[in-house]
Amino acid sequence: MSKTINFTIDGQKVSVEKGESILTGARKNDIYIPTLCHLAKATPIASCRLCVVEVEGSEGFVLSCNTQAVEGIEVKTNSDELYKERQNIMKLYDVNHPLQCGVCDKSGECDLQNKTLEFDVDSQNFAIRDQKRQKKGWGVLSYDPHLCIMCERCTVVCNEVVGSMALYIKPGGYKSLIDNHYSSCIQCGECISVCPVGAMASADFKYTTNVWELESVPSSCAHCSSACNLKYDVKTLGVGETDKAIYRVTNEVAIESLCGAGRFAYDFENRATKDELAFVKAVEAFKGADSIVFNSMITNEEAAVLQALKEKFSYKLINKEAKKYQEFLENFASVSGTKLYSGSLKTIEESDFAVTLGCSISADNPMVRFALNIAHNKRSAYVTCMHPLEDESLRNVITQYVKYEVGSEEGLLAMLCDLVVNEEAREKYSSFFDSLDSGYICGESSVGEEEFGLLYQKLRRKTKPVLVAGADLYNHPRAKNIAKLLGMIAKYSEFDLVIVPPETNSLGVALICDLDSVPGVKSIGYNVKGDFTLSALGEGDLDMPALNQQEGTFTSLDKKVVPLNVAVEFKGYELNDIANALGVKAKNVIDYTATLPQNSGYKDIEFDALENRFTMFEGIRGYELENVNVKGDDSIEEIDDLAEYNGSVIYRCNFPFNQFNSFTNKAHQTESEPFLEGSKQFAIASKISAGDTVRFTMDGKEYIRKFKISKELKGTLALNPVFDSTDNYDEYRYKQVKLEVVNG
Amino acid sequence: MSKLPSLEDFKDRNVVEGSAYYDVDQREAPTTGMEKFKQVVNRTFRFELFIGLWVVLREMIKFDIHTVSYPAEKLPIGPRYRAVHEMQRLWESGTERCIGCGLCEKICISDCIRMDTRIDENSRKEVTEYTINLGRCIFCGYCAEVCPELAIVHGGRYENVSEQRAHYTDFNDMLTPMDMAISGKVAEYPGFGAVTPHEDERIKTTPLAY
Repeated sequence: MSKTINFTIDGQKVSVEKGESILTGARKNDIYIPTLCHLAKATPIASCRLCVVEVEGSEGFVLSCNTQAVEGIEVKTNSDELYKERQNIMKLYDVNHPLQCGVCDKSGECDLQNKTLEFDVDSQNFAIRDQKRQKKGWGVLSYDPHLCIMCERCTVVCNEVVGSMALYIKPGGYKSLIDNHYSSCIQCGECISVCPVGAMASADFKYTTNVWELESVPSSCAHCSSACNLKYDVKTLGVGETDKAIYRVTNEVAIESLCGAGRFAYDFENRATKDELAFVKAVEAFKGADSIVFNSMITNEEAAVLQALKEKFSYKLINKEAKKYQEFLENFASVSGTKLYSGSLKTIEESDFAVTLGCSISADNPMVRFALNIAHNKRSAYVTCMHPLEDESLRNVITQYVKYEVGSEEGLLAMLCDLVVNEEAREKYSSFFDSLDSGYICGESSVGEEEFGLLYQKLRRKTKPVLVAGADLYNHPRAKNIAKLLGMIAKYSEFDLVIVPPETNSLGVALICDLDSVPGVKSIGYNVKGDFTLSALGEGDLDMPALNQQEGTFTSLDKKVVPLNVAVEFKGYELNDIANALGVKAKNVIDYTATLPQNSGYKDIEFDALENRFTMFEGIRGYELENVNVKGDDSIEEIDDLAEYNGSVIYRCNFPFNQFNSFTNKAHQTESEPFLEGSKQFAIASKISAGDTVRFTMDGKEYIRKFKISKELKGTLALNPVFDSTDNYDEYRYKQVKLEVVNG
Repeated sequence: MSKLPSLEDFKDRNVVEGSAYYDVDQREAPTTGMEKFKQVVNRTFRFELFIGLWVVLREMIKFDIHTVSYPAEKLPIGPRYRAVHEMQRLWESGTERCIGCGLCEKICISDCIRMDTRIDENSRKEVTEYTINLGRCIFCGYCAEVCPELAIVHGGRYENVSEQRAHYTDFNDMLTPMDMAISGKVAEYPGFGAVTPHEDERIKTTPLAY
């Protein structure tokens, strides 16, 4: 229903879609209108008023950022009056702004500095009595109200993008301040990145360097499957050093976001030297081994190297998590008919009805959370979260929360199918639908039929529904049928699907490698413990480069191949060197980029030809995988009896939420100690108290962890974080355990 | 000149009527071609060379010799001369003036200044390391000119001898000694990059609400 609106800006013909603002029209046509508070990813804030323009026939100035374009208007972006107006705005911003640019972190990239110079403010004729204000520190943030210009960018991203609603304005005219409901702050640092001045600053980065000394290396975040765009800002370690270090992470703030791990967990590089002896041993070990154990914290190219090694030496490639994900996708494809799911983060952002199932959103993929929140705010989407764990920090993101009993995912999905699929599916799978016993499912999952009723009611008249499936499902005992049910929804309903890859490059590994499930006798471990271990954490037998030290690509949640670049030089050996020594020759590891399997949807594009650039509205990075059509066994089994989980149930889930893996745990700002975290309810039910050290067995490992009560969690589940180990798992994420208190 | 000038008189390099410096046997320079020709002939055949030697001999036997015995004695250098940098302290408090703004590092066209900064206990910016590679420095004076605090200035130390270029500057060598700063023995720097006289009159005042 989009209608094109034609109008002119400075005599130039411009057309926008109905509902878009004058500013958008100008930016699409490279016409400059100055702004200070505008962020393309959020709704117009309209606090700075710099974007004023003249519209022929209307009196006074018009704000171009929040005024919709109307057919035929003539807009003027520049005139003496407009210049004077903008100059006065800048003069007002400069009133009492401390003249400490010399020691301000923002100096050199400060919008206030730029615009003050742009509008030639060289003297001041306004004055007001200055206020005494208190500097604040909120974890990773430090807030200096003297520098704050109250543009409201921080509060807007906190509400509209992050959805934690922690930052708010304490009103008081000239005394207005930003304040923080610190308990809801998720420490993502979005506010720091959008602040146009030095008011919101990173407490850690503060005063460590002047920004113009930094060199930006565009890359992709290595911590979760979103593989967000980011830039590592690097400089030498210090005076007299030649080695570089990462000082901070920045991104394209106007259009993209980062979570706390992306922004603060950047220094996980592995500094190593060429250890020739260890290299010779590694080559020997490869010759003697019959399997390679690894996790998905690798690039597509490394996966291709492993696959090439497998083809030459018939190694068994063992990656439990990716294997499960691969099988899940295959089963999904057998019913849906396409190799990949149809949705992406953009689809979630633009949806008007979103359901998440089996995904601990905050811990597994913060970008899904941000996208859901944007949908919720911008499109008034109806967001339903189905999960056994009530996540207090999602309070503002979710419209309906459906709490189900652990283990009943299959039943729930069947109920969802029943709600959303069309007649064709009902006919094809009539025996499945006939046997569906909603009473039993509702009873066992403890989800009321009225909850599904409400969902059904809200779904009507929605045009862009999306279903997000999470990592709880891939290792589910009934994963095969769950995947097929998802396939049915993908094929026979309007729903777009997103099947969130469990680890950074699980999707890439699943598409590139032929994985095996039965381990061999003698193994090489890559970032996982093996008989001979290659480690990017520096704790194995041979050092490997970490993901901020490599060139390569990831396959992201958006089904895109996105490039990684070297931020910190690695001086040791990499996987490609070993492969070369074994006779699998390639000069550089990025030579594999163009050879990634095309039957999985990869394209014949060289690494150096991958795009990585930005327009005013979107990032253009890498290329999107082709969604190949596949055929398979599209039969669906009837729902099995739903398993029951009683007593103390522990969920494998990283907490705090900006911990993803051993690499985030290596970075100095996110490093933390793993606790078994649960609610008060859990403590009472399991007869333990805060501070107890408990022993339990999960995923075939014995854990001894301290128990901590967390206010953010509810219900009778406890979280067992695994960021202190590099292992990956094929067991169901929930486990009923016996807790043994081993104090002292 | 009534009395013999002292070394101090010679340190005043402002050569005017009545100062310690005076012209010796200045002659009009030839202008026309004929005069130039005559000068060449005279110098070649009339032993004019010995006139110069005679002047030297005459001045020598007067015994008022004022050769500056360098390096024991040194003539002062003009305040605008740009030799090895000095880092200044604030008067009285003795605090280092450098705030670590990094402008000198940025403006340096031979890229020879490096600094490390950090946040100190009082949450102020502190310079932890500061080096100038004098082997690269071209003594252009931009760093002194751009410094907003008049912290880095050019001093008069123009002799540099070392086995290594790295020895040329040590931050502590450049820094004004604390005792001199506190006792106020350091005059405000008048040279390159310093505030010009009558600066007060050129300042525009900002309106104040109180």
